[in-house]
Order: sequence, then structure tokens, then C-alpha cells
Amino acid sequence: MESLSGLALAVALAALGLWTMVTRRNVLWKLLGLNVASGGSILFLVALSHRSGARPAIVGLGPSPAVDPLPQALVLTAIVIHFATLALALALVIVLTERRHTQDVKKLEEEG
Amino acid sequence: MKWITAGVLLGLAALLGLGIAGVWPRPEFPDPDPIATEWDVENAVAAIVLGVRLWDTLFEVLVYALAMVGVRFFLSGMRWQGILPPLAETPLLRRSADLLFGPILVFAVYVAVSGHIGPGGGFPAGIILGSGLLLLALAKGVEHLSTELYEPKLEGLEYVAVAATLFLGAIVLIVGVRSSAAFVAGNLLVALEVAIGAWVVVHRFASARGEV
Repeated sequence: MESLSGLALAVALAALGLWTMVTRRNVLWKLLGLNVASGGSILFLVALSHRSGARPAIVGLGPSPAVDPLPQALVLTAIVIHFATLALALALVIVLTERRHTQDVKKLEEEG
Repeated sequence: MKWITAGVLLGLAALLGLGIAGVWPRPEFPDPDPIATEWDVENAVAAIVLGVRLWDTLFEVLVYALAMVGVRFFLSGMRWQGILPPLAETPLLRRSADLLFGPILVFAVYVAVSGHIGPGGGFPAGIILGSGLLLLALAKGVEHLSTELYEPKLEGLEYVAVAATLFLGAIVLIVGVRSSAAFVAGNLLVALEVAIGAWVVVHRFASARGEV
């Protein structure tokens, strides 16, 4: 049951992030939305790997069945890559603001 | 556009509702212990990250290093002109940073070294060490810490760590070494690379502040 509430929260986070990415016009807000949506997808994977009463995927921690280690390994890499790409995206936003003096995508599109 | 988004969101909610209603069966997982023992470790997640799916990790290390090169490239021309205005600091912060950095460093090394037998690994260890460097940077000032750390040499060390990780990965993949020593070395190298990358982000963003 905890896993299902985790899944529900994950979908809610992903939906919130997606909504922010589409409706906001500021690139910083879009990145924030991407961040939240990515958090939702990470939580989704972790919640999928969970079973109630399962032990961590470490040898010798009990006789009960273990959780699925594969989504956890995926999430481990996803978090680090997310950090790196977010840093790169923020650096690009700084360059964009320096050159075009706006973070509004509509103005950026109109000016070409 | 908003209507399309609303539709997509409704679709997500519907998928979730179907999942909760039990439309898709959730099978029991296979036992991960044989994977861990096959790679001579105890943590099955470590066996997957640095063993079964080593290709993923190697390319992830490459992507991380490339992203840090990008951050360095884009922000290198945006140094704050003149002396950086110092952050508001207190003696309490300076003292506590001096006191805490040693234990943080030891804990990061412990997390990296014990990553194959328990919770931990190179990535969390690197981020722990990066957070410790952030604490020191807050206490001492970013530019001061950057000269103390010999930053150009540190950047060279990051490339060495990436190359060593790729070399180690090649040994594990081609020669087929399956020993916990390779996991310890891999975790330490990944921790070093992630920590230096985190420091690059902290330093570049801090030294470009106020420019735009």
C-alpha cells in the first residue's frame, strides 16, 4: 500500500512538473518544472521496486524477499546525470540572459 | 497547448487509476543475492551499477564529465570583475566548517570504500564530499578555497579519474575480473570525479554571480 501512495505522489509530481513546463514562459520556471517532473519519475521507479515487508537488496539482511535492485541502480545514475544536466542548463540560461536580456520564451521566439 | 497538457495529465491519472485497480499484475521479484555473490560483493545494487550494467555507468561518467566541461566553458568568460563581495560570515560558521570538514571527508571515503558491502557507493560519496567543499567555500570564500585547492591541478585530476574509470571498466569488461577490489577502486574513482564536478559547479556559479 505504501508503494501505491508512492506511485500516486510520483504521478502527481510528474504532472505538476509537466504542467509548469508547459504553462510558464520563463525558462527558469521551465527548468524548475523539469526538476520536479524528474523527481516524480525517480520516485516512480523507486516505488515500483518496493514490496511491503521486503528487505534491502543486500546479502544476509534476512530471509524475506528482497526489493528489486535494478530500478535503484537506474535511479542512482539518473540522479547524478540529472544534477549534471541541470547545472549545464542553468549555465546556458545564464549565457542566454547575458546575451538576450530576457528569460521569456515568447520574447525570445519573437526576436528570433 | 494547455488542453493537450491537461489531456496528457488526465491520461497519466487514468493509468495510475488502472494500476491501483490491479489491472496489471505485479510479479514477485527474483532473488538478487545470486547476482551479488556472482560479482563477489554483498550489495546487489553495487553489483548492478559496477558489474552487470557497467556500460551504463561508464557512459554516465562520460556524460557527467562532459556536462562539467560545458559548465566550465560557458561560465568561464563570466568571471565577476574585481574582488568578489564576501558572503556574510560568522566565526561560528568558520570554526564549524574547519571542525566538520575532516569528519565529512572521512565519512565520504567510508561510504565509497564500503559501497560494495552495504548502502553507499561512489556517487553518494562524491556528493557528500562536494557538500563538504560547499561548506568550506561558504566559510572561507570561494576564490580563496579555489586557490587553496590548486584548482587547475584539481581539474586535471578529474580527467585522470575519468580516464582511470574507463580503464578500470575496460579491464573488468574485457579481462572479466570479478573481484570486490575492482568495486572499491571504481567507487573511489567515481567519488573523486563526482566531488570534483560538484566543486566545479559550486565554484563557477558562485564566481559568476551578479554578472547578468
